[in-house]
Amino acid sequence: MDELYLDNIDEYIHDQNQIVTYKWLSLSLGVHVNLAKQMLYHYLDRCRKDGSKTPLHATYLVSGKCVQNGSLCHKVSVVREDKLEDMKTRMDPTISIHVYSIQKAEIKDSSTLYSTDYDAVRDNLKHCNKYSAIHCAAAVPMSPTELELIQEIQQTSSPEKVSKSGLTGHASVAKANVKKSQGIMGMFANKNTAKNQGSNIEVKLEKKDDAPSVETLESKPAGMASAVNNFFGKPTKKQDKCIKKEAESSAQSSTVESKHPKDAELPSKSDDVKEKALKDSKAKREKKDVRSKSKRPELTDSEDEKTESSNKKKRRRIKKPRSDSSDDDEDSPAKPTTVTTGSPESQVKEESLPTLEVFPEGKKRKRRRVLKSKTSVDEEGCIVTEKVYESESYSENDEVVTSQPKRSVLPVPGKKEEGRKSAKRQASNKSSKQVSIMGFFQKK
Amino acid sequence: MTTLTRQDLNFGQVVADILCEFLEVAIHLILYVREVYPSGIFQKKKKYNVPVQMSCHPELNQYIQDTLHCVKPLIEKNEAEKVVIVIMDKERHPVERFVFEISQPPLLSISSETLLSHVEQLLRAVILKISVCDAVLDNNPPGCTFTVLVHTREAATRNMEKIQVIKDFPWMVADEQEVHMQGSRLIPLKTMTSDLVKMQLYVEERAQKTS
Repeated sequence: MDELYLDNIDEYIHDQNQIVTYKWLSLSLGVHVNLAKQMLYHYLDRCRKDGSKTPLHATYLVSGKCVQNGSLCHKVSVVREDKLEDMKTRMDPTISIHVYSIQKAEIKDSSTLYSTDYDAVRDNLKHCNKYSAIHCAAAVPMSPTELELIQEIQQTSSPEKVSKSGLTGHASVAKANVKKSQGIMGMFANKNTAKNQGSNIEVKLEKKDDAPSVETLESKPAGMASAVNNFFGKPTKKQDKCIKKEAESSAQSSTVESKHPKDAELPSKSDDVKEKALKDSKAKREKKDVRSKSKRPELTDSEDEKTESSNKKKRRRIKKPRSDSSDDDEDSPAKPTTVTTGSPESQVKEESLPTLEVFPEGKKRKRRRVLKSKTSVDEEGCIVTEKVYESESYSENDEVVTSQPKRSVLPVPGKKEEGRKSAKRQASNKSSKQVSIMGFFQKK
Repeated sequence: MTTLTRQDLNFGQVVADILCEFLEVAIHLILYVREVYPSGIFQKKKKYNVPVQMSCHPELNQYIQDTLHCVKPLIEKNEAEKVVIVIMDKERHPVERFVFEISQPPLLSISSETLLSHVEQLLRAVILKISVCDAVLDNNPPGCTFTVLVHTREAATRNMEKIQVIKDFPWMVADEQEVHMQGSRLIPLKTMTSDLVKMQLYVEERAQKTS
C-alpha cells in the first residue's frame, strides 16, 4: 500500500488537530471505506509501535450479537479504546471490529464524532455512498420520466374516480384501448391500474361518441361522471347509427381515437386525460351531431327524469357566454307556435342532453365547438344571421371540420344548431328580433 | 445582492443575534470541555444541526444569558473588540482565556441564499474545534470558576455603567490581573471569515497551571 496516506493521516491528526473518522478519511482521500479502515488501523499500529510523541486516542466500532433485556439482538456500538475489551466480552459472536476514528483528544461524547462527519457528508451528499460498502442492486434511482409519470398518475387519479361506464357499444374498441392502457399502466403500481383502466374506458368511449359531444364542465366531479356515464349509455348505442351517417367524420374520429391511445403511450395517460379535458372544454358548445329525431324523444324522456336537475346545472354552466340555458329549457316545453320550430328546438334540447352527459367525462378530445355565423332565412322571411356553435371533430393529428355534414343533416331552417342558444334565438327572432346577448360576440 | 452599511440597524441586529447565540453555545461547551462544572449538569441539545452540550442548571443559564444580553448592544454597534471567557483557579488567577476576537466588515453584501448556511457551517467548525481543544491544552486544576470579559471602547464602558441593561447585573472594569496572564502561551484554535463577521478564537494558557 502506498505509504503517502500515512503522512496524510499524520498531518490531519497532529497538525490540524482533526478527528479522523474512517468515513471522513474515505471522503477526503476518495477511497473505499474498507480501505480507509485499514489505513487507520495501519497508522494506529505504527504509531503505537513507534511509541510516538503524543498519545493517540482511538474509537472502535464493534458489532455482534448480545443479550439485552432478555432478548438476543444485534448490537452495533462505537466505543472508546478503554471500553473495547469490555464490549467484546459482552458480545457472544463478535461479528466485526474496526477502527472508527483516531484523534489526539480524548472523546468525551459522541457529538464530536457526528460533527466531524456532518460537513463531509453534507458536501458529498449526492454521492456519499460512493465509497460505501453497503449496496443494494435493486435500489436504483428512478429516471426523470418515471418520476414524472408517477407524479401525474397521482395527480390525476385523485380527481378521476373509476366509474365503470355502462357503455358496451364500443366494447371492441374499448378493449383495444384498455389493452393499450394496460401496457402503459404496467409501469405503475397495481392499485392505479384499475382506476386508470376505468378512466381510460370512459375516455375512449367518449371519444367514440360523436353524437354526445363531450360537453362536460372541466371540473366534473367523478361522482357525477359515473351517473352521467350510465345516463349516457343509452344514447351511445342509439347514436352509433347517427355517427355512421356522418361517415367521414365518425370514421375519421374513430380512427383518430384509436390511434390516439397509441400515440399517447408513454407521454402518460394522464397527459392524454388532461388534453382531452382541455379539448372537451373547448368543444363544450359544439355538437352539431344531430341524431335522428326518433331517438331524441326517447332520450329526452328517459334521461330527463334522472338528470334533469344536474343537466340544467350543467347547461347553465356551459352556457355562460351564451344566453341562459334555462331559457331554452323554458322554451322547449313552451314550444313556439310553428311545428317546424318546435322540432328543432326539441332536437336541440335532446342534443344538449347527450352533449351534457358526455362532458362530465371531460375527456373527449375529438369534439370542439367552433363559433360560426350562419345566415339563413327564417320562417317569416327575415334574413337571420346567427352565431352558431358547430361541433368540429378535432384531434392532435387530424383537424377535420365536420360542420358541413352536420349542416346537411339539419333540417331546412338554417337555424338548426345545437344549443339552446339557437332555439332561443329563433324564439326571440320571431317575437321581437331582439339582439341576443350573444350578439356581442358575433363574428361578422 | 444587497449592500448594507454599518448604519443599517437591521444588519447590526442580525449579526448581534447570531453572535450572541453562538457565544452562548460556545460558553456552555467550554464549561463542559474544560470540566469547569461536572458533566452531569450538561445535556445534549441541537444547534447548527449538530449535537452540543448545554447546561441544565437554571442559575448558570440565567447568568450566561444575562451576560450576553448586556454584550449584545455592544456587538450591535460594533464596539466589542473581544469577548473573553476566563477560567480562573481558586485564587482567582486566570489559567485559561478563550478569546473571541470579533470584527465586522464595514460594508456587507448579502446574497441571502447561501450566506446564513455558510455562516452556520463556519460556526459548526468552531464548535467542533472547541470540542477537541483539550488535546492541546493541559488539564485545569480542580475548583475552577469562570467569568466573561468584554474588551470595548471607553465610551461604551461609561455607557454601560450608566445604563444598567439588566437590573442588578452591573458590569465593572476588570482587574488587571484578570486581564493579563503571566507566562502565557497562545494556542490558536480557529479563524472564521464570513461576509457577516470575522472571528478568531485562540486560547491563552498559563504555562503552569497548578501552582
